[in-house]
Amino acid sequence: MADDDELLATHLQELRRGTVVLACLLVLTRPNYGYALLDLLAQRGFSVDANTLYPLLRRLEKQGLLTSDWNTDEARPRKFYRTSDTGVALAGTLSHDWDQLDTALRILKGES
Amino acid sequence: MSSLTDRYVQATLRRLPVRQRTDIEQELRASIADAVDDRIGAGGDARAAEVAALTHLGDPARLAAGYADRPLQLIGPAVFLDYTRMLTTLLVSVVPVVAAVVAFLRAVDEAPWLTVAGDSLAAAVTTAMHIAVWTTVLYALIERTPTLRLASDRPWTPDALPAPPSRRARWGELVAGTVILVLVMTFILLSPVVSTEHDANGDPIGVLSPWLFDTGFVWVFIALGFASLATSFSRYYLSWSLPVAIAGSVVSVTGAAVLAWAAATDHLLNPAFVDAAGWPAGTDTWLTAGLIALAGWSLLQTIFDAFAYARRS
Repeated sequence: MADDDELLATHLQELRRGTVVLACLLVLTRPNYGYALLDLLAQRGFSVDANTLYPLLRRLEKQGLLTSDWNTDEARPRKFYRTSDTGVALAGTLSHDWDQLDTALRILKGES
Repeated sequence: MSSLTDRYVQATLRRLPVRQRTDIEQELRASIADAVDDRIGAGGDARAAEVAALTHLGDPARLAAGYADRPLQLIGPAVFLDYTRMLTTLLVSVVPVVAAVVAFLRAVDEAPWLTVAGDSLAAAVTTAMHIAVWTTVLYALIERTPTLRLASDRPWTPDALPAPPSRRARWGELVAGTVILVLVMTFILLSPVVSTEHDANGDPIGVLSPWLFDTGFVWVFIALGFASLATSFSRYYLSWSLPVAIAGSVVSVTGAAVLAWAAATDHLLNPAFVDAAGWPAGTDTWLTAGLIALAGWSLLQTIFDAFAYARRS
């Protein structure tokens, strides 16, 4: 039984891999910082590990998909990320692809 | 900031390039502080909240690898097949040759048999370890150097498929090899009693040196013959595997070395027979040279075979 659960978890993980990037790009059209984003994504059902998300944000920034600013207004300075124009364009492309996949799956399931 | 978080942050930063450290440190400390505050807000002891937050972040080495975009594997799937092929090829070809050369040199020095075997084994083990270590280091470097990794990334096409020799051809090879080997072994065993030349008492003069039979060394030849027969059969009936390939190489290389040694130290031909048959002077020198050349040829063939088999695997 434990094996079945593990297998299911693996398949779900495989299916969801990559959706985190799209989710980040969509959510970060409103600037936000690492820990709050982790919370927000978890609430929306995208559970992602902190040690995956923090490096991912930096990688996306390096790729020019996110921009960042240090917010020092509050007592605790935080790095706020925001989706760049390139990031918005990529999010559009990825969303379109997701919709196409969804349509394709519906056809495969015999709906249409 | 408490010492546990400090230690965690230090452990992470230690593994990162200096220029990234300041920025990542500030962000990481803020993230940890946020997580700790969140847990305290939910009603928890400060120390327990910190432990829980850090536990959730996991091994700092893993986090640092994520920040630095470092692979968490020594040799990844992109180069793993090239790595195993290279390693197998080197092991099955170089190791037996080194073992044979060392055994041959020690045997020519007239070292005791146990010393010969021990030195040869030690040389083989040392060589194998060096090959394994340096090949692994090389491929770990290739894994971590993007330009090198691209160079090794040639696309696979069906042309690369090995053309295995037909089963019938291989069967013919096996039968021919078996017949030749049985004939040679029969000749060796019968040589003291059956000969074209006889001495004054009418007893036969063997072609092969009586030393071989007096010392029982002839049984080494017979044993090698049987071993070589066994490897031929296992090559035919078993699919290619590293142990079979290594055993095959070891047997043929040992056979070649022993033959070359016996020929080089004049332990092969019976001088009495050469005299009785009236062979011209120098014949035995030529025969010896021929046998050594044969041993060398079989050594080369073993190397080529090993390469071909390893590539086919």
